[in-house]
Amino acid sequence: MPTKPPKAPAPRTAEAAPEQGTLLHIDDLHLTIAGRGRAGEERTVHALDGVSLRLAPGEALGLVGESGSGKTMTALSVLGLLPPGARVTSGRILLEGTDLAAAPEPVLRGVRGNSVGVVFQDPLSSLNPTMTIGAQVAEPLLLHRGVGRAEAREKAEETLRMVGLPQPGERMRSYPHQLSGGMRQRVAIAMALVCEPRLLIADEPTTALDVTTQHQILELIGELRERLGMALVLVSHDLGVIARRVDRVAVMYGGKVAEQAPVRRLFTAPRHRYTRALFDALPERAAGTGRPLATIPGLPPTLVGTPAGCRFAPRCAHATEECRTQEPPRRTADEDAPDHTYACFHPAAADATEHAAEPATEHAAEPADAAPDADADGSEGPAASADAAGTGGPTGDVLLELDAVRKEYALRSGPFTRRRDRRPVSAVAGVSLTVRRGETFGIVGESGCGKSTLGRMAVGMEDPTGGAVRFDGQDVAGLDRAGLRAHRRRVQLMFQDSYASMDPRMRVGAILREPLVIQGIGDRAAQEERVRELLDEVGLPHGAVHRYPHEFSGGQRQRLGLARALALSPSLVVADEPVSALDVSVQAQILNLMRDLQREKGLSYLFISHDLAVVRYLADRVGVMYLGSLVETGPAAEVFARPLHPYTRGLLETADSAVVDEDAPREGSPLAGETPSAARPPSGCRFRTRCPLATELCATTPPEPSEPAAPGHQVSCHFPLVETARAG
Amino acid sequence: MIRFLLKRTGQALVVLFLVSLIVFVLLHQLPGGPARAILGPKATPEAIAHFNHLQGYDRSLPVQYGMYLKRLVTGDLGESYKLNQPVLTLLGERLPKTLLLTGLSVVLAALLAVPLGILQAVRRGRASDYVLTGAAFVAYATPVFFLGLVLILGFAQQWPLFPAEAPQSETVGGILAEPAGLVLPVVTMALGIIAMFSRYMRSAVLDNLGEDYVRTARSKGQSQVRVMARHVLRNALIPLASLLGLYLPTLFSGALVVESMFNYPGMGLLFWNAAQSNDFPVLLGVTLVVGVATVLGSLLTDIAYAVLDPRIRSVS
Repeated sequence: MPTKPPKAPAPRTAEAAPEQGTLLHIDDLHLTIAGRGRAGEERTVHALDGVSLRLAPGEALGLVGESGSGKTMTALSVLGLLPPGARVTSGRILLEGTDLAAAPEPVLRGVRGNSVGVVFQDPLSSLNPTMTIGAQVAEPLLLHRGVGRAEAREKAEETLRMVGLPQPGERMRSYPHQLSGGMRQRVAIAMALVCEPRLLIADEPTTALDVTTQHQILELIGELRERLGMALVLVSHDLGVIARRVDRVAVMYGGKVAEQAPVRRLFTAPRHRYTRALFDALPERAAGTGRPLATIPGLPPTLVGTPAGCRFAPRCAHATEECRTQEPPRRTADEDAPDHTYACFHPAAADATEHAAEPATEHAAEPADAAPDADADGSEGPAASADAAGTGGPTGDVLLELDAVRKEYALRSGPFTRRRDRRPVSAVAGVSLTVRRGETFGIVGESGCGKSTLGRMAVGMEDPTGGAVRFDGQDVAGLDRAGLRAHRRRVQLMFQDSYASMDPRMRVGAILREPLVIQGIGDRAAQEERVRELLDEVGLPHGAVHRYPHEFSGGQRQRLGLARALALSPSLVVADEPVSALDVSVQAQILNLMRDLQREKGLSYLFISHDLAVVRYLADRVGVMYLGSLVETGPAAEVFARPLHPYTRGLLETADSAVVDEDAPREGSPLAGETPSAARPPSGCRFRTRCPLATELCATTPPEPSEPAAPGHQVSCHFPLVETARAG
Repeated sequence: MIRFLLKRTGQALVVLFLVSLIVFVLLHQLPGGPARAILGPKATPEAIAHFNHLQGYDRSLPVQYGMYLKRLVTGDLGESYKLNQPVLTLLGERLPKTLLLTGLSVVLAALLAVPLGILQAVRRGRASDYVLTGAAFVAYATPVFFLGLVLILGFAQQWPLFPAEAPQSETVGGILAEPAGLVLPVVTMALGIIAMFSRYMRSAVLDNLGEDYVRTARSKGQSQVRVMARHVLRNALIPLASLLGLYLPTLFSGALVVESMFNYPGMGLLFWNAAQSNDFPVLLGVTLVVGVATVLGSLLTDIAYAVLDPRIRSVS
């Protein structure tokens, strides 16, 4: 397809990028990956199919898309850092006039780390574990600048200081494992920037990081971009990450650029049906409305072979015969916005207000090949969980009660540990909460806050070292073997990684039947009948019983995970990050399914997640955890609208939301610093080391829970944000 | 670190005690016993009883073991019945030679196996990889004694390039003075080690090449060779180092076969001869040395880990 290249991007500010130069021009790039299918047959994946992008010097471009959309391939192809089997089949990648797609390896080596720097997703695995960070940061200088070791070290230290690594001189001799995740990513950024490149490619730079750390890293990248005047390609699956950090966004789907526009325009008036559907599937959009999430049915294309027509047509509610047979040409949105282009025959209306009001209609279309969506009945009962904003959510009786639960782990020491470094890790420090029958209690917190430990104790997989876990009034810790087995019928777990939590050598039928077999429920025929029932409930075909877990996609596996959890008809399901590994469109399917099943069966969920938007959408009541303690609990709507704890507020202000308010300034102060080690928690209030309001009192006395604002809204803080809450 | 070493030394002593106990008991279950072995098949029962009384063999086993331990603590490993020399002297004479043989073999093996493994990993799936992998399998599957025989037939008889017998000098220096005689024993021992090490090296390098940090290193603009030398090599050597330590006891048993085949005057040959003549004190002495080597090997593994992998050093 001969592309009409989009015109030079609009200047971000008056002085930023005038019409003149193009730093990077990707022109009609085609890329294939040779590999093998499940049966070992050779197959070629057409990962990129005519991708064209332009980037001006100093400009920031966001590449968004779900997994497999080709966003990472596009970014990595610039440097020729493609995985084995991947090959550019046609097209050009012009960096300042040099075609990198055709350039020999030595030329590419001269570009890598020199005029183009890269930051990858996982800062731990991306750094060499056996090399000091000083040596790793200095390396590009030795390669490209021809400087001596001393000079390289000096410059490396300077760069580490620039990226905000404390005491860079001492840290030069540290190894990656001695740093926190955020610090590691700073090191990775320093490594990419040490030669002051003109272009920085950041491939999901914050996906492996916590909300607050993510914010700090993104701020840092933005700041350094200004300072060094470099261009940025920010690759992310997360619309919230992209929203505030780039000038222009390209949305990718199925190896093609679906839509391209200046960031504000794309977020307020997307035209391509895929972009629109993606936004509608965001839990932020449905939070508090009581409406089910709009979902995109089916799965992204596998890109084996080149399908005719629009790549999104099989999943699109607006697709017509034309879409399935002809490839939509790239067109310009309207006369006054030449830099907004999309490839769609039936674009959404340009009117932004219509978009905001338009309810989820996309999920009406059910493709035959995909798992049917369980949210088809979603429209009938929007009020069922919307009453959460009331004083106490559903008023069912208490099902699960955690009473001042504590958990300490003894640190296992290695042969080279010094004795004074050995102390127990306080994972959960006195958490009390209740989950009522039929409600969803959401637990939010960053990694290491103890939320998963809490979940395991709630199920009875781990005994608390203090306090009590009561289920239906019965102490779980005191149960004998038989009692514990009976208890397992009533409480089940759902994991983040369903694949890792299923025996890869067992067929799905056996996996789902196992809980029934263990509990001795029914004979074989009855069990198999129950398995078929479960598959119906989670929207998978009966044929699934003969297949193995690896034959399913991430979303389908999560359906299996839910089916297994429901096999024994429990009254409580503890779901630990059940949608964190999923793409937005699939995440919406699972969230809707969980909600529908809850309504049908009167289930309770203890829903654990780091994702504020997801918790806000699903939970009736929430608890916010920080470093082992529950700092705030209350009705979800109340907590999110009027947070009382400084941590909750910081978290809310730090989280990158994909909902772009027109010109809404970002007030408040995002959380600075890092979570201290649970082996050495701060005295008094555990949050005080990062709290702007902390005083002497906070260091000496742990705060007791109180309800200063509304009944049922508890906060553990000496200085709750009552005034602010009222004013806000 | 010092605490760790002390702890490991303590563990080692317990292991050695158990080893000596097991060996002691097993040896005393052998038919005939040392008296018959030493006095010959025609010895009268009276002579045997007299010998057993002199050696304390008529006492109960625990008492005998107690006596043995008592002497052991003072460094007295007993005296060889056959060679009429203190076992300690014999070991002092033979051990360095075995160390020389195994040391040379391991060094040769490491020098060849590491580059071979890297080569196979880099050429993965190509002809050279298949040929080398196939050769390694053959070498690994061939018993040492057979390999030695083939080498002797080939390079000592068909093409007499090297002597079929190892140097018989009394000292290590004397052995080193005849390097030609060392070639066949060392190569025989080294081949199997090369085969195994290169397999491990190949997979360790392949594992590391798939790691993200290699992509990062490439993204800095480093050449393939530099990435290999500066980044992959050290990380790939970590599993190999542990393998070497745990392989040490196996090396000693390999030495036993090679030494007896090439008549190399090392500890293996000493053990072989002692085993044939029920020379208990020697057998016990050699077994203890192998026990020490085993414990030492696993200790070396731990230390090598810590040296190569900074994550182990500061494990919490």
